[in-house]
Amino acid sequence: MTPNRRLRWLAPLVALVLALALGAASGLLVVMKGEQIGQSSHDHWLGNRGVGSTRADPWTRAIIARIGLLALNRSETIYFTRYRDDQGRAFRADCIYELSGADLPARWWSVTLYGEDDFLPPNDDGAFSIDATRTIRDASGRWRARIAMTRDGAPNWISSRAADGFDLSLRLYNPSPEALADETAIPFPAVTRLSCQGDDA
Amino acid sequence: MKPLTFKGLALAALSLAAFALGHMTVVAAYPYWAMNSAMDRISQDGAAVNQWRHGQRATGRSRRIVRPSPDLANSSCVYDLAAGPVRVTAAPWDGYMSVSVYSANSDNIFVVNDRNAPGGVDMIIYLRGTPRPSGADLVVESPSRKGIVLQRRLAPTADRFGEAAMARAGDTCSPLTDGQG
Repeated sequence: MTPNRRLRWLAPLVALVLALALGAASGLLVVMKGEQIGQSSHDHWLGNRGVGSTRADPWTRAIIARIGLLALNRSETIYFTRYRDDQGRAFRADCIYELSGADLPARWWSVTLYGEDDFLPPNDDGAFSIDATRTIRDASGRWRARIAMTRDGAPNWISSRAADGFDLSLRLYNPSPEALADETAIPFPAVTRLSCQGDDA
Repeated sequence: MKPLTFKGLALAALSLAAFALGHMTVVAAYPYWAMNSAMDRISQDGAAVNQWRHGQRATGRSRRIVRPSPDLANSSCVYDLAAGPVRVTAAPWDGYMSVSVYSANSDNIFVVNDRNAPGGVDMIIYLRGTPRPSGADLVVESPSRKGIVLQRRLAPTADRFGEAAMARAGDTCSPLTDGQG
């Protein structure tokens, strides 16, 4: 085979292999960085209606398999995650936040703090979450929780010690039919940054 | 600029198809890979299949399942229907409790909670395309031979977790033997 003839076959073959590799890379990119596909957003709380669904498209299924493997489907539980405070600033463990809200439209709800590695932060404070059964409310039924490295006497506390960057997960187990039908009807908790170490809040 | 030849067009179309093939292969395979990893982890690389594995209370050192809920007592069972259906039971619980079934592609194919099953859960999982068994309150068809059953009991305090641990101690996840069906 002459060099010219060999090149005539080699060039298309290289193009096809390259296209295959680029396609695979784009698929991996979607899986690793495509959280926003199919995402809904309410007051900085991000959700995805495809979680656990047998009718999810392949992209949603793959993304959920990475960020929420073994999650329940919507009929049983609705999940939301937020990465930022009400002003849109990323959560920092060296800041103090106030999480506040009212009871949520579900049989049981919780808010849990996770580190950047998607696991509970490596501390022994035993204060990873607040939930519907333990949260102390005021007379009107509203509640406030401190998110910080120390409790400092707060009635409700989520510890951010040893978390560095973190996010919050909101779980609504057995959501009400209204919440299922219209997520905008859910009174999502607010997160206010109160102060940070080393700078002005 | 030279006009595209038939060969050029064919190469462009084939490259596009190769791109789509590579893309879809990764996207479609990822959930199976994630589930296989979880099944290996839960079953200790296949040593503990068709049996409940009861998790400890989630702490800052828990690393078996991502984003664990510290308020739930979780138990998991990797099921394998190669030898036939698997029977799953879970004792009743005086709070939220659910048993959910996940197929090999990570879909949550079935879930039942304590409101639907106040007397506890009694379920048989069988493989699609094989005879439908009977003899349990619930019969679930799995599209895949392998998958995961997950049990969640609301237990937000150490005391409640201890009670959940006692309640689930007699739960079963095991092959359906002759005479049980």
